[in-house]
Amino acid sequence: MRPVLLGELTPEEILQELGAAPTKSLAARRLSELKLPTRKSEAYRYFDIEPLMEHDWEILQAPAAIGETERQIVITDGRVTALPSGVEVQVGCSDAIDIDGNHFDPLYYLGHLLSPEVISIRFKQDAKVTLVHRFTRPGRLLAYRTALYLDANVHVQIDERYEGEEACGALILGGYDAFVARDATLTLIKDETLKEGDYTPILSHRIKVDSQAACRLHTFDFGEGAGLQLLRAELHENARIDADHLLYATDHARRGTVSQIVHIGQSSVSEQRAKNILADKARGIFDALIKVEHTGKYAKAHQNSKAILLNDGAYMASKPQLEIYIDDLEASHGSTTGQLDEAQLFYLRSRGIAKEEARKMLILAFANELIDAIGDETLRERIHASFENAYWGATNVTCMETCHGCEDLAAESAAK
Amino acid sequence: MSNVMMDIKNLHAKIGAKEILKGVNLQLEEGKVHAIMGPNGAGKSTLSKAITGHYDVEVTEGEILYKGQNIVDWEPEDRALEGIFLSFQNPVEIPGVNNAYFLRTAVNARRKHLGLPELNAAEFLREMKKLVEELGMKPEMINRSLNEGFSGGEKKRNEILQMMMLQPDLIILDEIDSGLDIDALRAVSEGINKMKDGKRSFLVITHYSRILDYIEPDYIHVLKEGRIIKTAGAELVAELEEKGYGAIEEA
Repeated sequence: MRPVLLGELTPEEILQELGAAPTKSLAARRLSELKLPTRKSEAYRYFDIEPLMEHDWEILQAPAAIGETERQIVITDGRVTALPSGVEVQVGCSDAIDIDGNHFDPLYYLGHLLSPEVISIRFKQDAKVTLVHRFTRPGRLLAYRTALYLDANVHVQIDERYEGEEACGALILGGYDAFVARDATLTLIKDETLKEGDYTPILSHRIKVDSQAACRLHTFDFGEGAGLQLLRAELHENARIDADHLLYATDHARRGTVSQIVHIGQSSVSEQRAKNILADKARGIFDALIKVEHTGKYAKAHQNSKAILLNDGAYMASKPQLEIYIDDLEASHGSTTGQLDEAQLFYLRSRGIAKEEARKMLILAFANELIDAIGDETLRERIHASFENAYWGATNVTCMETCHGCEDLAAESAAK
Repeated sequence: MSNVMMDIKNLHAKIGAKEILKGVNLQLEEGKVHAIMGPNGAGKSTLSKAITGHYDVEVTEGEILYKGQNIVDWEPEDRALEGIFLSFQNPVEIPGVNNAYFLRTAVNARRKHLGLPELNAAEFLREMKKLVEELGMKPEMINRSLNEGFSGGEKKRNEILQMMMLQPDLIILDEIDSGLDIDALRAVSEGINKMKDGKRSFLVITHYSRILDYIEPDYIHVLKEGRIIKTAGAELVAELEEKGYGAIEEA
């Protein structure tokens, strides 16, 4: 296959030349309407998209080889290479999927068009699984889509990890289409640390939360690399989404979240919190819209972004927005950007804690609010460690820094 | 006069462009309780900030000699490690910093500075729990974020807990009685009185005399318009109660 210049592709060319399935005509039409992103595109205003669009990409199509694991689903270069041994998860591939016809991101549609098949993961029973995205080929364009289906009243936790040390310079057009059926709960915890020169992920997601269903999204983006997650979520009657985004970006990173949460059904709830810690010349992005449609009476929609700039060169592009078409609702949004609180820093230092240690405590405290929101204790500890590794290059998280329940027991037993 | 722990000489300090302290001279004796009283805006809290190295306060002239060394240019943490403790009038809330983790870090920093072995988690928690109980604090405060959501009384008790764990040499209590009900005041005062050992010095900064019913002072200093205008024994409290600060003139 000849290299493709993304910026010059047309949907028709993709359909003809790359052999996209005809069922993807909706994606082609929407891409024609939205046009491929440029620096003027709203969703990519703060992200340097043009170098990626002007690059000649060789599109990667890797062979599949599937093995079994205990609890992991492994997707290597866009192909499923390992599956959990249990019966609670069904993994397959499909060339047809219910594509979101209202997504704001053109690369959501491009990803669908370039993806030969959609990896389809169906949960019929409650499950806790790890989903590993592994990238091995440097300098290529990899496009693949994942669909998550949760049947009614099924409760699923997905620990989503990214491994791509070998894929330097690659562009990943990925993301999931998640369908959370009535009364089901999807908890998705994403942990992605990028080093300088690593692959660039543009992960464009769509989440449909059905009546009385819930989605808890925890995203943790750390490191020096560039990457963007774009999310469109639809909330139906009494549905709920809690979306937390913790970003720690350094060096020349361009990283963040662009999202649209749409309240369609009555009494739906959205709580979106972003915390951003930016060092060096890093740029953080939080461009988030909550839209309450005229059908979304009694919705509750809250959105907040907080950023700490650790250096003068760091920059936060924060744009929380509400778009509301009804009167009967509860909504708020806010954004703050600043440095570490001087009064808090002084308080710690006045107790004999060295300045650097005090700064560390405050930064960890800032991040803790979102890390501690993870219900699963093992995952919580792992994310604490992941954050510490990104921040200090090592981890020495102790139990006491987080919950210290076990140290309580140790103290009690020592007292006896 | 017994040994002087802190000798403040001609201290001038400003906050922003405004000069607040205009030549404070004050000696704090080892093992004694000194109370500083004065009207609002006299500079009482500024003095405590100057002693502890607060970022708001710029010392423009004078010396603060602590155990014989001028500490004016010292970092706040170095002053604390050498044994200066300030109980804040309004302790800040620090969401996300676990109370026990914070205090253990502080205690072990001081112990390390003094050449003592650090406390392990079990030893530390045992000690902390004992004091929490003595101060009538709720046990769950150990695990909560530092001062977050604490009532005024709980914050003050937490300050005293820190003081008791850190075992400082010079204790500055800035309006420790503000916002305390009678039970909390009694618990806090008992904690402070337990710390008296004949060597440790106290500087009680207060607007009202109520706290001095519980913590008996050795000296009363009146601070007015940025200077100490009178120093006397505990009997001065009655005079201030009766006549007010306006009647006190510089000696």
